Amino acid sequence: MSWAAHDLEPYAIQRHLKLKIAFVPLLFGSYSPDMLTKWFVYGIHLGPWELKASDPAQFHRGWPGFGFTHSLLFGAVLGVLIWKGFGSKLWGLSFMIGQWAHALTDACDTLGTPLLFPWTFHFHIDAWAYAGQTGRLTDAAAYFSGLGGMWDVVWIVYGLISWRVLTSAYFDSVIYRADAFWPWVNRWVPRGALLALYRAAFFYGTSRWIAWTIWAHVIHHYPYDLSWGGPHWVPAEHP
Amino acid sequence: MRLDLPSKADLQVFAWYCLAAAVYIAIGVVVLDFLLSFWVAVGYLLVVAWLVPAALRRLR
Repeated sequence: MSWAAHDLEPYAIQRHLKLKIAFVPLLFGSYSPDMLTKWFVYGIHLGPWELKASDPAQFHRGWPGFGFTHSLLFGAVLGVLIWKGFGSKLWGLSFMIGQWAHALTDACDTLGTPLLFPWTFHFHIDAWAYAGQTGRLTDAAAYFSGLGGMWDVVWIVYGLISWRVLTSAYFDSVIYRADAFWPWVNRWVPRGALLALYRAAFFYGTSRWIAWTIWAHVIHHYPYDLSWGGPHWVPAEHP
Repeated sequence: MRLDLPSKADLQVFAWYCLAAAVYIAIGVVVLDFLLSFWVAVGYLLVVAWLVPAALRRLR
């Protein structure tokens, strides 16, 4: 799984696709595969009870389970539903692209994703360890010690090189004009707040990458392991 | 080749966001729950990148 890439990829995608893209559904699509399941993968405490999947990897990426949320078909189906439901082909397409980016990115870890569901074969590049079953903190420590964390750096640097996508001029001339959502919200919310909302995912992705890296390597001294499939000090899940 | 450099105004905005990020990171490292929610980050950014500058402009 990825921690910050899903926050950062939409900025690069909307910049470089030669298609008109609506940013909000693109971001929503990028978050969608984990939106309803991640809490149950890591588990939560409700008073004396712990709610957690008995097999987090199977629940998250498998079938039976919610692995279908990481398939291309899921993005296409929801994209069509959004298109027909909201009457906006742009929203449907943008959502689908965001969801596909998530599914493809997560195929880079050791567990992979059933991209071509209902064919349940997991596509996996094995670049970094999937460790969601170990709990949130160990997963964070592992992710930010391996190539997954480095993959996030690519998107942070890419975003900073493409700094114009974060400017108010770009927001006004491209993002705001591309999608009727922004003028609609602008009836109640000032433009300055909309600009902050537009920048929020980049801010969130970059800031928490730095924060988790400090937590993992300055406060707790987890060892870096940038080898393929690492870090190998954590038990990685495989299909 | 021509370098595409940000203006002084762009850099001022960037510096403000960096300051906001530094505070967010400092809080997040101490209180990990702060890092876990996208909506917390959205709320935080609305306060520091919109409400606070708007209030400062009004005071001037």
